Amino acid sequence: MTRDTTPFDHRPDPVLGSALREALAADNDAAFVARVLAQAGRPAEAHWDVLAAWARAGIAAAAVAALIAGILVGRGMSAASSTPTASVDELLAAAAGPSGALVTSPQPPDASVLLVSAEER
Amino acid sequence: MEREPQPPGEVARIAPETDSALVARTLAGDRAAFGVLVERYAASVRRVARAVLGDPDDADDAAQDGILAALVKLRHYDPGRPFGPWLMRVVANAATDRRRRRRVRHTEQLDPGLVAGGTTPDVETDRRALGRRLREALAQLPERRRLAVVLFDVEGYSHAEIGRTLGLPEGTVRSEVFHARRALRAMLEDWKEEA
Repeated sequence: MTRDTTPFDHRPDPVLGSALREALAADNDAAFVARVLAQAGRPAEAHWDVLAAWARAGIAAAAVAALIAGILVGRGMSAASSTPTASVDELLAAAAGPSGALVTSPQPPDASVLLVSAEER
Repeated sequence: MEREPQPPGEVARIAPETDSALVARTLAGDRAAFGVLVERYAASVRRVARAVLGDPDDADDAAQDGILAALVKLRHYDPGRPFGPWLMRVVANAATDRRRRRRVRHTEQLDPGLVAGGTTPDVETDRRALGRRLREALAQLPERRRLAVVLFDVEGYSHAEIGRTLGLPEGTVRSEVFHARRALRAMLEDWKEEA
């Protein structure tokens, strides 16, 4: 403000600028920032083309986590299934009694056998 | 105008990134980046809103509205241009909208202090008194003149940037700044003489 300016002066006036800055200054920028960020995070507000992107980022992170979890579970299961176990046929053949024979036979059973088998129970 | 980071607060400590990088990160879903932008521009947008509205609470509401509006419109921001003037335009528009609504409200309702004819005791320091006089002087200026001088002398934007912000030719901005300065200087001279 100490120099004479013209409409074509492109230099800021530091004295006037400083006085105006002080006159217009507001207290506690940190509280203001916190308030704005809290408002921006409210799901009910409709700010969100951008929030949708934030949500997409969250979904992507959750998907990656699920994928990793799936891989780990899959590895665990394949490790468990690699131990030798009896086949289904072997288990059925080992089953005793008429019901076991019925299941393993390639021929359809006689109806009377089925009835007898039911009566036995 | 690509701004240098403000003095660091909790959020700004993350990284001294450029505005356009922070905008890109915000658009990619990074909330912390948005926090840095808000912190970086908080003081400026509050001053600009106050230049339009006068009342600090109204100004903060308008500044918040403006920042949130900017967030909604962020995809429309051209990263090839400086972020500051773009944000200031959105905030100034938010403040102007609020002032219009307030003007309507005020025509419906008289200020009780004015009705009672009461005054408040002046217990402010000289510095505060000067600030108040400056705000009063600003309030007497047309809005675009007020914004032009604040954006130029306080926020440090160029005439061209202010022209884009306010939608005015650069020559008009120069003229507005000049006339605003002349009016504010006259007020300050009066104040000095009174003091």
